[in-house]
Amino acid sequence: MKKYLAVFKINLLNSLAYPAELVTRSAMILLFMWVFFQLWHITFAAAGSDTINRLTLRDTMWYLLLAETLELGRPRLARVVSEQVKDGSIAYLLNKPYNFLLYQLSSGLGESLPRMGMLFILGGALVWVMAGPPPDLVNWPLALVALAGAWLLHFCVNSLIGLSAFTVEEVAPFEWIYQKLVFILGGMLIPLDFYPAWLQTIARSLPFAYMMYGPARLFVLPDMQLFIQILTGQLFWFAILGGLLLLVFSRGMKRLAINGG
Amino acid sequence: MLAIQVTGLTKTFHTKQKAAGLGASVHSLFRPEYKTVEAVRGLSFEMESGELLGFIGPNGAGKSTTIKILTGILFPSGGEATVLGYVPWKQRQKLAYHIGTVFGQRPQLWYHLPAIDTLTLFGKIYEMDDRETRHRIAELAEAFEITDLLETPVRKLSLGQRMRCEVAASLLHKPKLLLLDEPSIGLDVVAKQHIRDVLREMAKQENVGVLLTSHDAGDLEALCKRVIIINHGQIVYEDKVSTLKRSFLTSKLVEVRYAEQVPIDFQIEGTETLKVAKERYGAKLRFDTRTTPVEKVMVALSAAGTLMDITVSDPPLEEVIAAIYKQGASPFP
Repeated sequence: MKKYLAVFKINLLNSLAYPAELVTRSAMILLFMWVFFQLWHITFAAAGSDTINRLTLRDTMWYLLLAETLELGRPRLARVVSEQVKDGSIAYLLNKPYNFLLYQLSSGLGESLPRMGMLFILGGALVWVMAGPPPDLVNWPLALVALAGAWLLHFCVNSLIGLSAFTVEEVAPFEWIYQKLVFILGGMLIPLDFYPAWLQTIARSLPFAYMMYGPARLFVLPDMQLFIQILTGQLFWFAILGGLLLLVFSRGMKRLAINGG
Repeated sequence: MLAIQVTGLTKTFHTKQKAAGLGASVHSLFRPEYKTVEAVRGLSFEMESGELLGFIGPNGAGKSTTIKILTGILFPSGGEATVLGYVPWKQRQKLAYHIGTVFGQRPQLWYHLPAIDTLTLFGKIYEMDDRETRHRIAELAEAFEITDLLETPVRKLSLGQRMRCEVAASLLHKPKLLLLDEPSIGLDVVAKQHIRDVLREMAKQENVGVLLTSHDAGDLEALCKRVIIINHGQIVYEDKVSTLKRSFLTSKLVEVRYAEQVPIDFQIEGTETLKVAKERYGAKLRFDTRTTPVEKVMVALSAAGTLMDITVSDPPLEEVIAAIYKQGASPFP
């Protein structure tokens, strides 16, 4: 376990090597949150009500902030792994005595945490000014647990896409599709609560809702029943996606062709 | 004990082929055509533990592919191999504790961080205790003369400095076998020499076997006792470096410098004058040792004037290898 902690640490150091870059890159969340605020401000005004399906404007904004933090702060593992395969640097990652997937996990976490932290702080400051204070502190623990679960699911899907580079050359299209599915069916652009019932049912039976909607919704409107539902869903999808990942990795190793001869 | 044993190793890659143009692109979308590339074709060789073995060949000969199979990164298409008693592609992680690798074209050090951070990380990855890691880093830093460079972010090091750190990093966990893939690529003469000297010294001290692939004949001459030359995925030559030189290096190069000027048409019987120095105080000659004994040339040279300096050397190994390549995969003595 110590070695994975060390991998986490060096990635953390690496992402902090250029603090100015970290801040500048994270600052784009300000633009997104501003646009979201304008959009939902008008929508709520047009609806003529303080709440839409139990969510207030303030709830919606903090929901979107958490969703954006996760989306922009999660490691771009699909791209990272496929780059490693393409440029051959994976050779160095595979010839060390550790589990390759756990290595990617700890390295992704080290890269992701500072970014997510920065995104949340910057974006949160703006949302606070525009829409009001953050949800009550008692909401945070449940949301954090669900956030960790969501992050893990993202890790699995991303690694699966990245590992497909072992056999296909370009993974960008898969990544694009996955991202758009998270946008729509994960409730990243619009909270799932605002969807018609039939679409909500579809979304809830797919993994994407557990990768985005779950933690964001628990953050603004916590509810023990929802928490258990989300956690169970996450465990279920983690078992499936994680199992698939192990299978694809062990089979992929046999087919790996490394560029740069 | 054998460090490496390889029997009938083969590796075939299937690469997608696509002709130029939009039509061909659309066609390949529906009916992709694959080309089979046999990167390694029935390779067999052995390497003793602690041996320094050179593995050379032109681009695309299959050197790196072989190294990647031996480290367990690639699965072979056929054949058998054991490295330090492990089957690399089945026991990759166990084997990893005992081998060190340097791929000259791919840095393993973290680019934006000081080398010491990567070294410390490797210490953890190889499950060394912290004191042992610190001690080993100090030891390697002294040998490779990198003590002052360890705290500098790797991106600020020169290529030569970085390579010294790279090689040091690959030796951190005291591997029994070092696989070096083009370790001296892009380095200047001094940097190359430095790395070779330290490597040779470390290999001797710690009884590390070294398998080295290189384009540079100098690496081989300086480091290896035995050499395997491969081309098109097959062994075309396997013998001692000294035998290689004896059977293929039948000519010698002589450089002389005199106290007085030599005539512009400077000639010594039995030799070919390659060049007369600009100021005409010296010359460069070549002769074949089979027809002209070294002694005879020496006598003639000293009779031609007051000798200030003389160097006799073998032509570079590149020429020998080129000669072997020209003869293709035919058998050699």
